[in-house]
Amino acid sequence: MPHLEYALQRLLQAVPLVLVIIGINFVLIHAAPGDPLDVLLGPGEASPQLIAQLRAEFGLDQPVWVQLWNYYAKVLTLDLGTSFRYREPVIDLIASRLPATLLLMGAALVLGTLAAVALGILAALRPYSALDNATTVVALAGYSMPVFWLGQILLLVFSLHLDWFPAQGMVSLRAPAEGMGRVLDIAYHLVLPAIAYGIYHVALLFRLTRVKMQDVLAQDYIVTARAKGVSEPRVVLRHALRNALLPIVTVVGLNFGFMLAGSVLTETVFAWPGTGRLLYEAILSRDYPLLMGLFTCLATMVVAVNVATDILYALIDPRVVYR
Amino acid sequence: MMRSLAAVLRAGAFVLAASTLLAQPAAAQKKGGTFIVASEGEPTTLTAHLSTDTSAVMIASNLFNSLVGMDFNLKPVPELAERWEISADGLSYTFYMVKNAKWHDGRPVTAEDAAYTLTEITAKTHPRAGAWWPNVASVAATDANTLVIKLKAPFAPFLTLLGNSLGMGTLIMPRHIYQGTDPKANPANRNPVGSGPFRFSKWERGSHVELVKNAEYFRAGRPNLDRLVFRFAPDAAARLLAFEKGELDFLHAYIVPYNEVARLQKNPKVQVVNRGLELVATNEFLFFNLREGPLKDVRVRQALAYAIDRAEIQNRALFGLGKVAHSQLNSSLAWAFTDAHDAYKARNLAKANAMLDEAGFARKADGRRFALRLTWDAGKEAEQRAAEIIRSNLREAGIEVSFHPFDRATYIERAFRNWDFDMGLQNFTTGPDPAIGVTRSYHTRQIQKQPFVNAMGYSNKEADQLFDAEFKEQNLARRAQIWHRLQQLLMTELPALPLFEYPVLNIASANFVNVVSGPMGYLESRENVAQK
Repeated sequence: MPHLEYALQRLLQAVPLVLVIIGINFVLIHAAPGDPLDVLLGPGEASPQLIAQLRAEFGLDQPVWVQLWNYYAKVLTLDLGTSFRYREPVIDLIASRLPATLLLMGAALVLGTLAAVALGILAALRPYSALDNATTVVALAGYSMPVFWLGQILLLVFSLHLDWFPAQGMVSLRAPAEGMGRVLDIAYHLVLPAIAYGIYHVALLFRLTRVKMQDVLAQDYIVTARAKGVSEPRVVLRHALRNALLPIVTVVGLNFGFMLAGSVLTETVFAWPGTGRLLYEAILSRDYPLLMGLFTCLATMVVAVNVATDILYALIDPRVVYR
Repeated sequence: MMRSLAAVLRAGAFVLAASTLLAQPAAAQKKGGTFIVASEGEPTTLTAHLSTDTSAVMIASNLFNSLVGMDFNLKPVPELAERWEISADGLSYTFYMVKNAKWHDGRPVTAEDAAYTLTEITAKTHPRAGAWWPNVASVAATDANTLVIKLKAPFAPFLTLLGNSLGMGTLIMPRHIYQGTDPKANPANRNPVGSGPFRFSKWERGSHVELVKNAEYFRAGRPNLDRLVFRFAPDAAARLLAFEKGELDFLHAYIVPYNEVARLQKNPKVQVVNRGLELVATNEFLFFNLREGPLKDVRVRQALAYAIDRAEIQNRALFGLGKVAHSQLNSSLAWAFTDAHDAYKARNLAKANAMLDEAGFARKADGRRFALRLTWDAGKEAEQRAAEIIRSNLREAGIEVSFHPFDRATYIERAFRNWDFDMGLQNFTTGPDPAIGVTRSYHTRQIQKQPFVNAMGYSNKEADQLFDAEFKEQNLARRAQIWHRLQQLLMTELPALPLFEYPVLNIASANFVNVVSGPMGYLESRENVAQK
């Protein structure tokens, strides 16, 4: 299958790209002022032996190039090292936090995309209607607000005053639930953060869908299809939407990268146990292995999603052919 | 002999005093319930021997015990040691340990565990061990329940140090789990086995740590709670919201939003507790780089003290809570504290201007004398507000202040490793004993490129001699006299200007009682907390 070949080729090409990203990040982090041991040890009465011991253990007593080389050697054996601060394997730390971020992102991205596209289609079919105007205003407002402020406002209104949703975390602490109850508990906790996190994406995608659909709906072949007697839903979804989908898919693919990098604000406000917050704390504590591990994972995911987006183009639009 | 009689009487007195304090009507407390504590950060381990990270100590103090505890009068009380004797010369401490304490895996807690902890774990891995361990001559378990510690020279704050799990890492750990392993990397650091009132249940990364009741705890009738949960809640506004909603039960002193206290006090579902931080005794300081520039001259520093309106800072930065600081020691260290040497209590701009002129820093044509850089660990609201008031106060005296806040790692590097600063804002715990909390900032020996020691470069021979003598002094009144002289020196020479004392207050849900039971409040065990 030509797409499969192409996909594999792109993924292989991505490997050197990710390695370059790792190298740049490594050098940048080490160039930043601040010593991981200072943050780790706190008030300075540590014995010189302890400091020297830790420095050697962490490999910090060697020049940056040596450290980078050692890091590449490790990464190529899929060993991301041990966190200075937590003293646990980086892979374990990331694995314990990534699912929460992916859940939040997934909810925001998937539900947001469905909602935005649906509303965009409806708005394109009935431009300047009450639905269109209302959605436009809400979308623009959400797009313009800083996400942490929006999060706090949502908490104030829907959590504190109306008491409809919980305020913090992914699960209830006072009466923890099991099994199906836990799934529902998580879903319940997911609502506000997903809204705060996803609204930027929804706003963007809604406007884009609306414009693109309007464009497409004005085309000759749509008039033809209607004249032929094709049912309206089929006209809209099968003919119009498919032609409008390419830019929508592009934006979703791009936003994945932005959202992955920007999850820290939402995670901080809602105390959501994801990798965003982990990344932020790793930066503050100069936890080099954890930082590098996170960058490596994030870079890999973003590159993979980009490749997937390209494949999706080919699947949607038969005119797109890759050589 | 009178001396050994005195020692025995002292030991006996401790037991009596302690037993009355501990004689809480345990049966009268309601059993059960879950208490949810807010933590602003996530710890990296659940033990306290690797760092001074308060989010770890907050949890560890419920999983482990120390040899002794502290009461609200800052006196040692029994914990794993049910009584102790101190030799008349102050060089030998004998601890008689309780016989019924068990580790969470069922094995008995013995003096060997204590000996092992202090010699192999605390001394070798705790970052502050360097401050006191060199003075220890030997630690030995003479039998299963007796621990003897011998010192090289008398050290008056020794019991305070052993009882202070805040910064000194003296929680007793299980030898059978740590022996033969690297205490820095042992998996028990994340899956702890302790002797404390709660046992470890689970740690969901990024979310919370859950502890459950230890039914075999050596103190009968405690703990009262079934579950103790620590939720990591990094955002201040959302944290407060969650607290008001009832999702969190306790906000400790450092995360209480000062501007909300007045409003919260009126809420019947909230209790404001004005206790539980006395031992931490934290002051905010404006510290100076004495190596170069105008700040080398003591008259300039004193002029700054006259020009800065500390009452206004306390009012604005702390919203009227806490107090103005009058000494390098916090006033809760009552036995040693004096405010008699604070000559700058009332703001005196005229005097400040006169002193600056006299020191040779006349105003230039634009009205300015010189410029100073002010640095601090960014993200601390109280310091930000204090900085703004300092800048506006000093501008009136002709000094232009520029701001250089940095993230923690960068701030530490610039101020404490490179000494690249003019003035800095920093909070220091001056407790649990000034020998531990204050000496490190002003002794000549502490002029090192390390965090949180004498970054100012202050060196005074008389002060050094007094610092070296005071902790050997066993008579409290004489020790206090030495500290009075030190405060006189430090408040006259002003290597650092004490600005304000942090307020001692915690806020909690009104559904619980005994939310703090000692002078370290949120850093102590919650074995006494109960539902109302």
